[in-house]
Amino acid sequence: MSLVPTGEATLGPFFPPRYVDAGANDLTTLAGRAAKGEAIEISGRVVQEDGAPLDNLVIEIWQADARGLYRHPADPRHAEADPNFLGWGRAATDKDGRYRFRTIRPGAREGRAPHINVMVMYSGLMRILKTTLFFAVSPDPVLSLVGKERGNLLIAKGKNPYEFNIRLRGENETPFFDD
Amino acid sequence: MAIVLEPRDERTQPARIIAGYPQTPLRNPAQPLIRRAPTLSELTGPAEFGGRIGLLGGDLAGQGARQAIGQLIQLKVRVLDEDGAPVAGAMVELWQANGAGRYAHPNDDDHAPLDPNFDGAARVLTDAAGLVELRTVKPGAYPVPTKDGWWRPPHIHFSVFGRVWLSRLVTQMYFPGEPLNAFDRILNAVPDAGARERLVARLTGPTPDPYNALVYEHEIVLRGRNATPVQP
Repeated sequence: MSLVPTGEATLGPFFPPRYVDAGANDLTTLAGRAAKGEAIEISGRVVQEDGAPLDNLVIEIWQADARGLYRHPADPRHAEADPNFLGWGRAATDKDGRYRFRTIRPGAREGRAPHINVMVMYSGLMRILKTTLFFAVSPDPVLSLVGKERGNLLIAKGKNPYEFNIRLRGENETPFFDD
Repeated sequence: MAIVLEPRDERTQPARIIAGYPQTPLRNPAQPLIRRAPTLSELTGPAEFGGRIGLLGGDLAGQGARQAIGQLIQLKVRVLDEDGAPVAGAMVELWQANGAGRYAHPNDDDHAPLDPNFDGAARVLTDAAGLVELRTVKPGAYPVPTKDGWWRPPHIHFSVFGRVWLSRLVTQMYFPGEPLNAFDRILNAVPDAGARERLVARLTGPTPDPYNALVYEHEIVLRGRNATPVQP
């Protein structure tokens, strides 16, 4: 038996292999039927303060459909939401800390710019860390609350495929919300 | 059906940097979390899953050809919202080490044995009373590979989807009367004694034959003043 060094492989996370189902990171179809709207790809790396990539980190997203409607009874217009768009997905990072989603570009709605809610789960995270991905600098109450400088860290880079990197701590730390 | 949620009460939450837990100062944000006024986007969330993730059933002890090795237990876990009302139809996921304290995961290279009849994962929905019933074996304690002899007490990880995105909770459940509870760095990162107690299940007795399992009851409160603390 060899001792495990204190480092990346220690103390989990031990999300079961079955926790992230195959295809759970593809929101563009539901039960084989295509969602309406523009299919986009988003990927990025998740790193900690020393720049080390985090392997087997679980990342979830929640978003509106192409017209900005949410598949949830709290949305007064949920009956009009795209029946082929669930709005939720889950991915795990690989050894390089990289995750990948395929989804639909969300629509704007009621003063909110197009955006995607993002949550990360990992060993050692003592809070539920939630952030928000935007596609462009645009008027939005959440983006303006963050301020211009740090708000830039919430803007995905590129134009489909998009890149959205997450740094949990340190220089250019991703802004997270007290949700 | 507009949903209103109060901000999280910091007293219900653990410290973010923990002495002797070397990953915490590398991963928890240094900047304060930003408090925002929730909009429809955060006050909705996945209310159904459309097969994107599949149910795994709630019988962890009976997944293999033979019963899993260990002390058979029945868990009755109730999911409550910020008002103490049961959350029906909530997706509850759990994962745990086996009876010897080993995870069925390639990243766990502890020397404790694997159990071929146990992979330690379940995924179930709460019933109308917010309840899930699970059958499993009590997880073993295991050593954390730090230099100073930290052992995790027996615990079960839970991930719960509440009514909305803001209700999402990841936590752990502990067992009553375990000597290691008093020394665990993650459980004791919660400063408030009452909040720590909400992480510990209650032993309520045995089931009748033929199960002969010990029954533990537990409540997971997703938000509010009596929220169950986050545990990674």
